[in-house]
Amino acid sequence: MGCKRLATRACVGASSLFFAIYAHAEPTATLRLDTLVDTQRGGGVIVIETDMNTHSWASAEALVWTGGSTTTGISADALAFSVRMREPHGFGELRIGRFLFASGAILPVQIDGASAMARAPWGTKVELVAGVPVTALASSAPPIEVPGIAWLIGGRVSQLIASRMTMGVSYMQRREGEEVADEEAGADLSAAPTRWLDLAAHAAYDITSPGLSDAVASAAVRVGELRFEAFALARSPSRLLPATSLFSVFGDFPTQSVGGSVHWKAAPRLDLWLVGAGQTVGGVYGGNASARAFLKLDDRGAGGIGLELRRQDVSTARWTGIRATATKPLLKTLRCGVELELVIPDDSSKGVAWPWVLGSLAWRPSTRWEIAGAIETASTPQHEFELNALARLSLFLGAK
Amino acid sequence: MRFRSTLALLCALAMVACASVLGLKRTDPSRPFEHRQHVLHGVACTECHAGIATSTHDSPMHEPTTKECKSCHQKPHDNHECKNCHGESSTRQEAELIHSQLRFDHQKHMARVHGDCARCHEGASAKSASTLEPAMATCFGCHEHQNEWNVRNCNGCHVNIAAEETPPESHIVHDGDFIREHGVQAASESQLCATCHDDRSCAKCHGVTVPTLPWKLGVGGPPQTTGLHLSGFRSRHSLEARAQPGLCQSCHAENFCVQCHTTLGVGAASPKSRNPHPPGWITASGGQHGMDARVDPMSCAGCHSGAGEQLCIGCHRVGGSGGSPHGPGFNSTKNKTRELPCRLCHGGT
Repeated sequence: MGCKRLATRACVGASSLFFAIYAHAEPTATLRLDTLVDTQRGGGVIVIETDMNTHSWASAEALVWTGGSTTTGISADALAFSVRMREPHGFGELRIGRFLFASGAILPVQIDGASAMARAPWGTKVELVAGVPVTALASSAPPIEVPGIAWLIGGRVSQLIASRMTMGVSYMQRREGEEVADEEAGADLSAAPTRWLDLAAHAAYDITSPGLSDAVASAAVRVGELRFEAFALARSPSRLLPATSLFSVFGDFPTQSVGGSVHWKAAPRLDLWLVGAGQTVGGVYGGNASARAFLKLDDRGAGGIGLELRRQDVSTARWTGIRATATKPLLKTLRCGVELELVIPDDSSKGVAWPWVLGSLAWRPSTRWEIAGAIETASTPQHEFELNALARLSLFLGAK
Repeated sequence: MRFRSTLALLCALAMVACASVLGLKRTDPSRPFEHRQHVLHGVACTECHAGIATSTHDSPMHEPTTKECKSCHQKPHDNHECKNCHGESSTRQEAELIHSQLRFDHQKHMARVHGDCARCHEGASAKSASTLEPAMATCFGCHEHQNEWNVRNCNGCHVNIAAEETPPESHIVHDGDFIREHGVQAASESQLCATCHDDRSCAKCHGVTVPTLPWKLGVGGPPQTTGLHLSGFRSRHSLEARAQPGLCQSCHAENFCVQCHTTLGVGAASPKSRNPHPPGWITASGGQHGMDARVDPMSCAGCHSGAGEQLCIGCHRVGGSGGSPHGPGFNSTKNKTRELPCRLCHGGT
């Protein structure tokens, strides 16, 4: 209850601040509204997103939704609702409201709170964040015991080196009342030493249950129309859960992947991708591979044909899949599309194959709005046959 | 002999057809404007682009009209607008975008380059250039913006980088396996991402209460080539989760799964719950559940988090029949009798 009150106050405070700024400005604003009706859910959802730039140093944005179904009732929430103020020369920034803090090696976290950032001309950057982590609206599984208000603090310090490389260290502590629910430290690096080489890596270390929780490294080389990438990742799933969860106490059973990908722009309108990786999941070896092609039907890419083949073979996750898509503008304002997916699991206890097909039609009479409808049919592990209708109405408004 | 000729003809026709489909052959009748020919014939840029030498950021566009072309080309080969074929529409759109999104003053620059437009507009002297926009590196050839670059202060030249819709050409590209790559790239350079993307871009997937699968809101939209939740994701989500344990937690909170599972009757708290576990899941000697829980604890939490944890505690509390659930490599800095979740089993209550 305390968290909700604090969140409400933060939102009200952020709104007041923003409207005070807005009253003295000539704003630029955009708004997008999407309404989706879904017969499978027996309900629908309305998503509204908007942003406003009042000055070169102040802006605000919001992403809210409301919706419901016959089984879940009606609910609403804000995914983002924040006011951002910048120092006009870029030396600092303050953000207040509900937002996603994603910086450095620590896991992205959605909070109601504030973040501040300061940058020095020599490339040093300091980021600080504090707030209340956002939780699900109404969980059917309440926590065993609520130890107090959950809150977190964190930050990151980074240094830009020769305009080619950035290195950073980050830290986050999350508390539930008096107890430390999570404590994590991380380091990150990204570098583009030449125009054809990208390097990026990050690693996060769990301090509560000491050990590596998440590490990723990627190196990509671009040669003409080809791009090669090599990657490696390691995750410890139990360390990614909140340390107050009972499921975090099982120990270190990491999953690791090493692989590579190739992207080839074979022709101006034809792109080809190959991705493959070897994996270990809890000590069991396996791998995955996919091949994908996409052909644009016009120079702008308004229409296209795509084909993807995929094989996953690790632990109890063994399946082969194919996905095909086709989208084509029929008229200037009308576009149709077909998507098909066929998944064949090795374990046929929940069905020999799971086909999924979607046919869609979209009408965009002006740049301001669009109506789309789709029929989706599938055979899933839950139901032998499913038929679903989707309808979407989108409205775009922008004003200077 | 006739068969071979027919086959060769068919192959040639197929290649021609494919050339168009693959974009190797131009289908648009327009072509890049013949800037080079004009330059070679001694036509100064300012003869057509009148007023450019004194134009500022607020001045109107300086695109020549058919009337201006006719001042020299007095007998044009047809009566259509010259720009319909001479010069590409994409080049004009690019120029309009730059005019609206860049703070640029030709007046100041013309004096410095002594009227040599090609010093910046390198494409104007090329045989067939589809873009005349100078690369940013060209600007940096004269302008030092290291301090602005260091603090990512782009406002001096760029009005709104997101509205420019200019994706990065080299670093942090979006053309690989972007769903997998974006996280590691954004970790160090989130401010670079923020040049074009706002909080909403992240919250649409990483938000705790995302209302629906992202592709559903894009139904009927442009073709989507990548995405974690595309197509029949709902059917294969458990396989995807098992193949890469921990991946779901990169975006979703522990209790994200519970509501959906409860509605579908596969959640532990659902009144119409049915057991999704295979035979041998729990046996007198343990069964399969222990190993699976260690490898992919999120799958357990998806149904049994919160109050559902009591199910584990019943057997695995200290002195219980289930024994210690801790696997090899487990350690913790927590006080086991006072802090959560340790005290649930070790606290003696």
